[in-house]
Formats: sequence, structure tokens, C-alpha cells
Amino acid sequence: MASSQSKTLRWTLLTLRVILGAVFIYGGYVKLREPWALFAMGIDSYHLLPFQFVEPLAKTLPWFEVALGAWLIGGFWLRLSSVTVSLLLAVFFTAMVHARLAGEQINCGCFGPGEPISKWTLLRDGSLLAASLFLTWQAFRAARRKA
Amino acid sequence: MKLYAAALLILLPCLAAIPEVDKNKALGIPTAPVRIEIFSDFTCPHCKVLHETELPQLMKDYVVSGKVYIVDRAFPLNGHQFTREAFGYAVAAARVGKYQQVADALYAQQAVWAQNGNVWGTVSSVLNPADQKKVQALAKDPGVLAEIEAEYQEGVASGVNETPTLIVTAGGKRIPLPHAPDYRLLKSMIDGLLPK
Repeated sequence: MASSQSKTLRWTLLTLRVILGAVFIYGGYVKLREPWALFAMGIDSYHLLPFQFVEPLAKTLPWFEVALGAWLIGGFWLRLSSVTVSLLLAVFFTAMVHARLAGEQINCGCFGPGEPISKWTLLRDGSLLAASLFLTWQAFRAARRKA
Repeated sequence: MKLYAAALLILLPCLAAIPEVDKNKALGIPTAPVRIEIFSDFTCPHCKVLHETELPQLMKDYVVSGKVYIVDRAFPLNGHQFTREAFGYAVAAARVGKYQQVADALYAQQAVWAQNGNVWGTVSSVLNPADQKKVQALAKDPGVLAEIEAEYQEGVASGVNETPTLIVTAGGKRIPLPHAPDYRLLKSMIDGLLPK
């Protein structure tokens, strides 16, 4: 019984890792397909960063997302990769909630242009964050058990 | 041949959905490698800023040299009382070749007519008596009203939900930009899209 439970958990964690990793790779790829300035405009529309940081972030974040997605799927140093994904998703989610509460009708910028922040985008990103936090918790639990 | 015909059949409705460009509402040469459609509302403050500060920059940096073609599109926001009337006069003025003058005046006097409703007072101030008569008559023309509605519907179909929204077309790709982009980023984007 316990073995069946742990097998289910293992498969669940693998599925979450692959889904989250694929989402990050896709998100990065979609941004890399477009001119970097388009993503920079999306970042700038949140009005959270000084202008001088917008361009470097727009040029590097999509590559980082692709690398992070591949890292998560690869499954090595899982504690570090899952914490990084969780932190990044927490930043994205907080920025979206902030924009929504401020009444700004801006695009999410998550997967390219033309996707306004809505209840749906918040639910989607919130679910990804929850999944990532669960993965992080399990990664630390597994490491503690091994120790 | 069959493949070509099928592709044409798929593409035809898309082409039909994009309203014809009224050359009097456009700036530059139509063959420019980059086209920017500006969906705006005469009562929107951000549209005024775009029209008065960024548009002259775009003109200087790209339109004069034939790199960018700018097309004004009507996107009268719901709930803005006098905006449809303003668009009626502006589109009518385009038919007599006075669109830019009327658009300039409407943005310059935005705070006045949007408050007191005297749209015609602003429009007539930049037209001679002969054009005033034509514009007043044309503003009620069903063709003018249909043009405004067609552009509005095109905006809705393209995902426009606020003004100003810029849609950039280059190399056959149509890219809607985030709301009121910073000019430096817009410039970087255009530079990236221009043929090297």
C-alpha cells in the first residue's frame, strides 16, 4: 500500500516537473520568437522596474526560462531548480495581481503578446505556482529522508 | 494549384476583414517595409500624447525616409460621449483631404470639446467655408459611418481593448503592441523589423 502511494507520488512529481518545465520552455520560446523589444514593452507596461533594467531583462529572461525549464525536466539539483521556479512564478504572480488590483488593463506577457490579465490568467499562473511550491516541498522532504 | 487555391480560400476572409486604407488617413508610402496601424480615440489622453509627441518623432525617424507607413484607425471607445461625432467629422475631412488638420485640432482642443460637446467648433476652425459645408454633409454619410464601424470592428477582431493600440505589420506578420509603448522600445522594435 505504502509502496503504491509512493509510486503514485513519484509519478505525480515527474508529471509536475515535466509540465512546469515544458511551460517554461514554451514561454521562453514564444518570447524569443518575437523581437525582444516587444517583450520589453510588456515588462515596461507593468511599471515596476526602472527603464534601464527593462532591456537587459527582456533580452535575458526568455533564455533563462528555457534553461530553467530544461533544468527542471532534467531533474538534477531539484531543490535548487524548484526553488528558482517557485520564486520566479511568485514574482510573476505578484506582478499580475498588483496590476490587476491597480486596475491596469495590460497584457500578461506570459506567452507572447495579446493576452490581457484576467481571472483566467491569474488562475493559471496561481495553479502553476501552487504546483511548483508542492514540488519544492517534496524535493526538500525527499532530501531530508535521504539524510 | 489545388494547394494554392485552398490557401487563397483560407486567406480571402482575412484580407476582407482588414478595411481598406484611406490614403488621407495615412502617413508615408504604402510600400514601406513596416506598417503601423494606430487604433485611437480622440477623447483618450494617451492618444493625445502619442499624436503630439511620438507621432512627430516617428515621422522624423522613419516615415520621411520611407521605412514606416502609418495608418490611423478609428476606435471610438464606448461611453465617450462625443467621440463618434468627432470621428464622423475626421473621416469626412479625410474625404476632402483634411484629415491631418482636423485630427491635430481635435487632439489639441481635446479638453475643450470633450467637456462642452462643441466638436464642430473645433473642426470648423481648421476648415475653409467650402470644406466646412462638404464635411458637415459627409459626416452624416452612411459610407463614413460604415467606415468608422468597420475599423472599430477590425480593432475588436484584432484584440484591441484599449487606446492607443499599435499594430505593427512587417514581413507579413501582424503584431499588436502593449498599451502606449515607450518610444525608445518602439524604436528598437522597428529597427529590428527593418530589412538589414
